[in-house]
Amino acid sequence: MIEVEGLSITSAAGPILRDVRLHVAAGERLGVVGESGSGKTLLAMSLMGMVPDGLHVTGSIRIDGAEMGGADEAAWRRLRARRVAMIFQEPMSALNPLRRVGDTVAEPLIRHLGLSPRAARDKALALFEETGILGPERRLSQYPHQLSGGQRQRVLIALALACDPELLIADEPTTALDANVALRITRLLVRLARERRMGLLFISHDLAAVSRTTERLMVMYGGDVVETGATAEVLRAPAHPYTVGLLAARPSLAAHGKRRLPTIPGSVPPPQELPRGCRFSGRCGQEIARCADERPQPVATAPGSWAACHLLRARAKGAGA
Amino acid sequence: MSYFIARRLAGFLLTLWAVSVVVFAVMNVLPGDPALTILGIDSTEEARAALRARLGLDQPVVLRYLDWVAGALRGDFGTSFSFGVPVSGLIGERLPLTFSLALSGMVVTVILALVLGITAAARHGRPGDWGIMLLSQMGIAIPAFWLSMLLVLLFAVRLRWLPPGGFPGWGDPIAALRSLVLPTAALALVQSAVLARVTRSAALEVMRLDFVRTARASGFGSRHVLWRHVLPNALVPIVTIVGLQFAGLVTGTIVIENVFYLPGLGRLLFQSIANRDLITVQALVMLFATLVVTANFLVDIAYVIIDPRLRGARG
Repeated sequence: MIEVEGLSITSAAGPILRDVRLHVAAGERLGVVGESGSGKTLLAMSLMGMVPDGLHVTGSIRIDGAEMGGADEAAWRRLRARRVAMIFQEPMSALNPLRRVGDTVAEPLIRHLGLSPRAARDKALALFEETGILGPERRLSQYPHQLSGGQRQRVLIALALACDPELLIADEPTTALDANVALRITRLLVRLARERRMGLLFISHDLAAVSRTTERLMVMYGGDVVETGATAEVLRAPAHPYTVGLLAARPSLAAHGKRRLPTIPGSVPPPQELPRGCRFSGRCGQEIARCADERPQPVATAPGSWAACHLLRARAKGAGA
Repeated sequence: MSYFIARRLAGFLLTLWAVSVVVFAVMNVLPGDPALTILGIDSTEEARAALRARLGLDQPVVLRYLDWVAGALRGDFGTSFSFGVPVSGLIGERLPLTFSLALSGMVVTVILALVLGITAAARHGRPGDWGIMLLSQMGIAIPAFWLSMLLVLLFAVRLRWLPPGGFPGWGDPIAALRSLVLPTAALALVQSAVLARVTRSAALEVMRLDFVRTARASGFGSRHVLWRHVLPNALVPIVTIVGLQFAGLVTGTIVIENVFYLPGLGRLLFQSIANRDLITVQALVMLFATLVVTANFLVDIAYVIIDPRLRGARG
C-alpha cells in the first residue's frame, strides 16, 4: 500500500512536479500517462528514492504506513531491496551484460534474503517460470545478449519480483518492444499483480497499453496531475482538455488514411517556461482569462474521478445558475 | 572462443618471430663490426678475427640467426663476453629479483589505481575527486628516478625506516622484502597515477548505463554497485592500459634497479651495454621484448574472459 500526498519536486529552474497525490492498494493497478516531460518518470524515481542530485523533494510518501518523505539513503535502500521494485523502458541495456541472467536474478535473493546460491538458483528458476520465460532452465546460464527484447524484459520482471515487492513500478516497460510482445508483457503484469496481490504503477504514453493494464488512470502534464479516475471512465469521457487532446491524437485503424491525425499543437515546454497557472494553458486552445496565472483546483467529474480545469468549474457554475 | 584464442596465439607467435628478427638484425646485420664493438677500437685485427671466428661471425647471416634462435629455444644464449659465463646463468640468477620487482610493482599499481579511480568516480565533481585527480596529475608529471631519490631521502636517509638500496638476497626474506618496498613504491606510484585516471573515466562511462540504475533499483548499496557491477564493465579499457603499462614497468625496472643498486636484469642490461657485451644485450633485449609481447597476449585473452559478448565473435 502506497500513499503519496502533496509530492512536489523542485529544481533550481522551478517546480517540475507539483502536489502529486496518489494511492495504490495491494493488487491495485494504477496507470500514469503523459507526454515526455510530463514528470511521470521523475514521479516513479521519487517513489524509489532515486531522484537525481540537485532536485528538492517535498511532501509525503507513505509506504505501508511508514513515512518515507525525507528518509535517508539507507532507508530507501532497504525499501528498494524488499518492498518496491521497478522495471524500465530499455530491456536491452538494463541488464548487466557481463552476467548470466540467472546470476543477476539470484543476486538480490542471496544478498537481501540470505539464500544460499543453490536455493537462489532454484528460486530464480521458479521466477523465470512464473514470468513465462521460454526454456527457463537453459536461460539461467545465458547472457543478456543471447536473449530477445521480450525475454530480457521478462528477466527484468523476474528480477523485480525476486524479493516479493508490494509495489511494482513499470516505467514504459513496453515502449521498446514489438506490439505483439508488448501485449504479452502487459498481460503478464496484470496476471502477476492479481496473483501476488501486488500494487502496479504502470507508466506509459501508450493509451492502449494503459487501458488494458490498469483499473485507474492518472493523466499528467507538465508536472501536474490534470485528471484521474477509473481508466475506462476517463478514456470514455475525458474531462480535461489535455486528456481529450491525447485521446484524439490516438491513431485508429478505422480512420486510417481518411483523415489527418489530430495533434496537440506544440510540445511540453521546458520546466522554467511552463505557465504558472494551468500548465496546459498556451497549448489548450480553450483558455479563459485566469488559466495562465491561477492554478485550477480539482473538480469532481464522477465518483472517485476529478480533473483540474477552470473550464469545468465555470461550466459547473453555469449549470447550477 | 577457441577461434579467437587461436588467432591471438598465431599473432603472438608471429610477433615473437618478428621481434627476434629485429633484435638479431639490430645487433648483427646493421653496419659496424660486432668484434670491433666488443673489443674496442684499439684492438688488433688478429684479435678481432679470432673473436669473429669464436663467435661464429664468419658464418652466413641466416645460419647465425637460425643458430641463435635454436639456442635460445633450448635456453642457451651463448657465453657472455664480459662475464665469461653462460648468459642463461646470468639471467637465471637475476630473473627472480626483477620478476619480484615487476610483479609487486604491477600488483601495487593495479590495487592503488582501482581504489583511487573508483573512489574518484564515486565522488565525481566533488572535492574527493579533485584531490585524487590532482595527486594523479602530480604522479604523472614526476619522473620515476627522481621520485626514487625523494623516497630514499625521506624513508632511508631521514627516517631510516628502510634500506636506501642494495639487495641482501633471498636468504633473509624479511630483509629482501624490505629492500623491495621503496623500488616498488617508486615504480607503482608513477604507473598507478596513469591507471587511476583511466579507471576513473572508464567507471564514469559505465555509471551512466542503464544496468547500473537497475542494480541501484534492486536495493544494492553504492559500494556494491561500484565494485561488483560498474568495475567489471570498466575492466576492458583498464586491462588494455595495464597491458601497455607492463612495457613501461619492465623498462622502469631498468631505471629503478640502477637507482637502488638491485642486482636484477635491468642492472645486468645496463652493465652489459657499458661492457659492450653484445651477446648478453641481445639475449636481454629479446627477453624483455618477449615479456612485453606475452603481456599483450594475456590482455587479449583477458578480454574474452571479461566479456562474454566477445566469445562468439570472430576476430
